[in-house]
Amino acid sequence: MSLHELVALSFVQHAFYAVTAVALAAGAVGYFVVLRRQAFAAHAIGHVGFAGAAGAVWLGLSPVVGLLAFCVGAGLLIGLGGAKLDDRDAVVGVTLTAALGLGVLFISLYSGYANATYSILFGQILGVSWGDVGLVALLSLLVVVAVSVIYRPLLFVSIDAQSAASRGLSARKLSLAFLLLLAVTTVVAIQVVGVLLVFSLLVAPAAAAEVITNRPLRALALSSALALASAWLGLFFGVWLGGPVSFWITALSSVSYLAARLVNARREHRARCVVA
Amino acid sequence: MRDGAVNLGGRTIWSGANFSLEPGTVTAVLGPNGAGKSTLLNVILGLAPLSEGSLEVLGASPHRGNRAVGLLAQSRHADELSTITARDYVGLGYDGPRFGWRRDKTKDEVVARALAMTGTTSFADRPLRTLSGGQRQRAALAHATVFEPRLLLLDEPLAGLDLTAQAEIVDLIHLIRTTTGAGVLVVAHDLNPLAPLVDQVLWIARRQVRSGAINDVVNEEVLSDLYGHPIEIIVTPRGRRVIVGLEEEFAHPHPHGHDHSNELAHEHLGDLYTDPSA
Repeated sequence: MSLHELVALSFVQHAFYAVTAVALAAGAVGYFVVLRRQAFAAHAIGHVGFAGAAGAVWLGLSPVVGLLAFCVGAGLLIGLGGAKLDDRDAVVGVTLTAALGLGVLFISLYSGYANATYSILFGQILGVSWGDVGLVALLSLLVVVAVSVIYRPLLFVSIDAQSAASRGLSARKLSLAFLLLLAVTTVVAIQVVGVLLVFSLLVAPAAAAEVITNRPLRALALSSALALASAWLGLFFGVWLGGPVSFWITALSSVSYLAARLVNARREHRARCVVA
Repeated sequence: MRDGAVNLGGRTIWSGANFSLEPGTVTAVLGPNGAGKSTLLNVILGLAPLSEGSLEVLGASPHRGNRAVGLLAQSRHADELSTITARDYVGLGYDGPRFGWRRDKTKDEVVARALAMTGTTSFADRPLRTLSGGQRQRAALAHATVFEPRLLLLDEPLAGLDLTAQAEIVDLIHLIRTTTGAGVLVVAHDLNPLAPLVDQVLWIARRQVRSGAINDVVNEEVLSDLYGHPIEIIVTPRGRRVIVGLEEEFAHPHPHGHDHSNELAHEHLGDLYTDPSA
């Protein structure tokens, strides 16, 4: 089959629309994950989602339902229980492990698990239906709009919580709102790259963007752009050359981070030489 | 503030607070660690309620988000890590609390003015984490004064700075109060570098807030009582008065310190005496 014919396939088009929406949302939310150093929370929410998806499959429901319920629940739990930075790690860790235990239970209860488990863990974007694409696009759009509305206050509390509080912002509410957005983003990202590779869209592009630019708005846009580039190219390579799409996306976003670090190291080296 | 008192969780933090701050003056807040200095700031900011008494801030009851009150917070956890620039940080002081996308045309101008007043302009476009402590504190002062507040609250503005940087920040605080006429409230653990600026002192000890002119407070008796251990004041040949004995309070806080004089004597010996055989 020629490339032209491949791209015309309906499941490839579904995948294209889905990754586009997801990458934009994940890139934007990822910027704050990196800025607020909440990668561990992001990691935990994804794994909690795994338990939810496994539970839903066992009950004969769509995995997305379980993912949404468990991810949003985990976001609430981490947001309410770990409001103090000091015990945040402990709350996240306990939530994570409890949910993974449940996931193991659900898998053991469900007989035909192998295929469903694989797609939850590693993503199976080429299998999405029009209905899934619609839901993913809707949720992603919701996230992008919400991030654009709370962008400045969230940045403010992330940088200087005390000053932000004195100006009337509630760090607790904004932190909770952010974790909920993170939960929804994780749900849609899992559709593309799976639980285990969620960071390829949620952390790697944002980390690369933060290395490249100091300006928050530019970093946010760049993070989305890099996530989008990784997702599009990853889908293209997966369809054209074969191999799992989630592998390609992970490889590309990791390489973009590495490249950003190398370019930055050279830039800093040159700046030092000029000073010397 | 009149007869102000604060209870948190059924415990009286402090009571009997009677004081007022005049525009263009500097008031230092002194007291041992844990005495409730930050609580006092929170009450003024409207973040914590008074359980008794009354407080008027610039003619109104204290409320959150008052632009006429500026705050330089003590620990900005992102400072060491933050990749955002000083200019963007000051910009957050301007429209950070605002939701949505709308941008003010006047923002750049106002931010540039705050940067210029605090001498931050030359390094405004460098990330906070690459700046020195003194430079960061300038940026933080620009952040706090972006709306030219009439009341400026500074929480430990000199903490962690070397002597040169301390002197620069003290000069800058003086400049801000004279040019904007703001009343300044400084929480500090070391009064020495600030002493030339300070008009009034509030001291919190034994759950009481007391106030007085700096010359009434800065004597050995009052300060020793305040901190619960002996404090000495040394007059230098050039007539500067130096308070000695507070360093230990912060290196080894004794919140209930009654009789630590022996311990302190040992610490002094430790400083002065080096064992030649070591």
